[in-house]
Amino acid sequence: MGKVLMKGNEAIAEAAIRAGCLNYFAYPITPQSEVAEYLAKRMPEVDGVFLQGESEVAVGYMIFGASACGARVMTTSSSPGVSLMGEAISYITAAQCPAVFVNIMRGGPGLGGILPSQADYFQATKGGGHGDYRLLVMAPASVQEAVEMMMEAFPLAEKYRNPVMLVGDGLIGQMMEPVEFPDNLSIPATNKDAWATNGMDTRKSDKRNLVKTLYLNPEELNAHNLLLKAKYERMKQEAVKYEPYNLDSAYQVLIVSYGTMSRVCKTAIDMLKDEGIEVGMVRPQTLFPFPEQAIFEAAACESCKVALSVEMSMGQMIEDVERCIKGRLPVKWHGKCGGDVPTPEEVIDAVKRLIAEY
Amino acid sequence: MEPDLDGIVIIAGAYGSGKTEVAINLAVNRKRAGYDVKVADLDLVNPYFRTREAAALFNRWGIELIVPAQEWLQADLPILSPAVSGLIRQAGQLTILDAGGDDAGATVLAALADAFVGKTVRMLQVVNPYRPTTDTIDKCLQIKAEIEAASGIAINGLVSNANLMDETTADDLYSGYDFVSELSRLTNLPIEFVTAAQELLPELNLNRFLTPVLPIVRQLTPPWRKAGVIKCKN
Repeated sequence: MGKVLMKGNEAIAEAAIRAGCLNYFAYPITPQSEVAEYLAKRMPEVDGVFLQGESEVAVGYMIFGASACGARVMTTSSSPGVSLMGEAISYITAAQCPAVFVNIMRGGPGLGGILPSQADYFQATKGGGHGDYRLLVMAPASVQEAVEMMMEAFPLAEKYRNPVMLVGDGLIGQMMEPVEFPDNLSIPATNKDAWATNGMDTRKSDKRNLVKTLYLNPEELNAHNLLLKAKYERMKQEAVKYEPYNLDSAYQVLIVSYGTMSRVCKTAIDMLKDEGIEVGMVRPQTLFPFPEQAIFEAAACESCKVALSVEMSMGQMIEDVERCIKGRLPVKWHGKCGGDVPTPEEVIDAVKRLIAEY
Repeated sequence: MEPDLDGIVIIAGAYGSGKTEVAINLAVNRKRAGYDVKVADLDLVNPYFRTREAAALFNRWGIELIVPAQEWLQADLPILSPAVSGLIRQAGQLTILDAGGDDAGATVLAALADAFVGKTVRMLQVVNPYRPTTDTIDKCLQIKAEIEAASGIAINGLVSNANLMDETTADDLYSGYDFVSELSRLTNLPIEFVTAAQELLPELNLNRFLTPVLPIVRQLTPPWRKAGVIKCKN
């Protein structure tokens, strides 16, 4: 198969199948519905299952159930729908079951609007559901990258026995780009025996698997949380991904931006370069774990006077950027959160204002 | 040779086949040729990248555009402006109706059946063989049948819109055209025109096509890319 032209939502759906996910439960919501439309047609062709839940609350627990049985499973939704899944996501992380969640973000809070947004940064990286837990969060900037991340998401979810969430603003789902699919990569999970309640079917040991999230004994619950904490620390060591851009220049401003917003920033950085103004960028490809070290080091560049968090949210990622920079540089915010994506010219203006100020 | 179309022209086809980009460029192309052009955005299924995004361009060119009322422009609701049936009844020299994709998108046309009575309508199927949903002749025939069943209107022409966006090569265009030619032979439907990105035109051997060529200056661009500038001929 050569290159084809696909919408992000379609490509995410096809990539899931090629990654060996044959169980998909979802509820339609704009701007994500094409995933469900695509898989409603495609799943029967590969002997897979698409089941539309009666709500996102139900879908969350369908994911939990299938995952607990050892199935490779995912759902897709958009912001308000993901809120409804929050409880189940907390339970799945507590039970250490693997699953993939995709959030094609729209404007919020509340019903918000149907246009692109990155306003679920906190929801994805800091919680959304209750309790001490983390998701491994990936943020593609192109349709091709969305495909590659989907192929990685399932093995990562199984490796860490933890949900992986892929977040894209509405444009990632809706835009069309040429895309090439890698060969099928449906490597079976090697650690299924550790959690799957699939009877004695494939079990090598005679150990009983119990999927539970209730720990009434305080010592037991604390030990369980310490175990989870150690796992999140391991993710920080092993799973962080980012892309540096123009960091080999003597940049005056360091931009941190992700997803399609980072592509606007790249255009702005290229245009500024033509004017003789150097700007560097760290693009987090994982939002948790966050590229802490990369941003800390990039902020140490002698020519760099100020950092700028460019996000389609009202200053959410900036808190992580500040945390990484540890007071070395002033950290400023630029963004929009109504559905319009900031233009390269707006980013250029913001950069020039900062250069004049610092 | 440019496409010579007039009357009521419905742009239909599979989801994501490039109908809206074709509709916008066709409208401006014919306007430049001196036609009185009107356009209606009938896409009730797609949330982004709709004809309404070309409103400013149409305004500059003096092309009338019918869209839902301003306050509902970004609503996730299937709103059909009552002005559309008026537009069909009092059609311009060229009236372009940009339908939504697949049979779901074409269903709206059935709701306009009364307005179409006594009118000659051309419905064109836009085909991009680089879309996985239309990469075989069988799939194209199936979508054709579904659109016709949903709209109650027969497709009577094809548009070869083979492209991989910015990555399209001349060879991609030729083999895409050959694919649509085969579809044309099997359906007995003419290829009304073939599309080609403006910047690709110098590389193309236009004699390779037996049909008119509509140059495409991309208008539905992501925010990090500027829409192409469609210049006045004079």
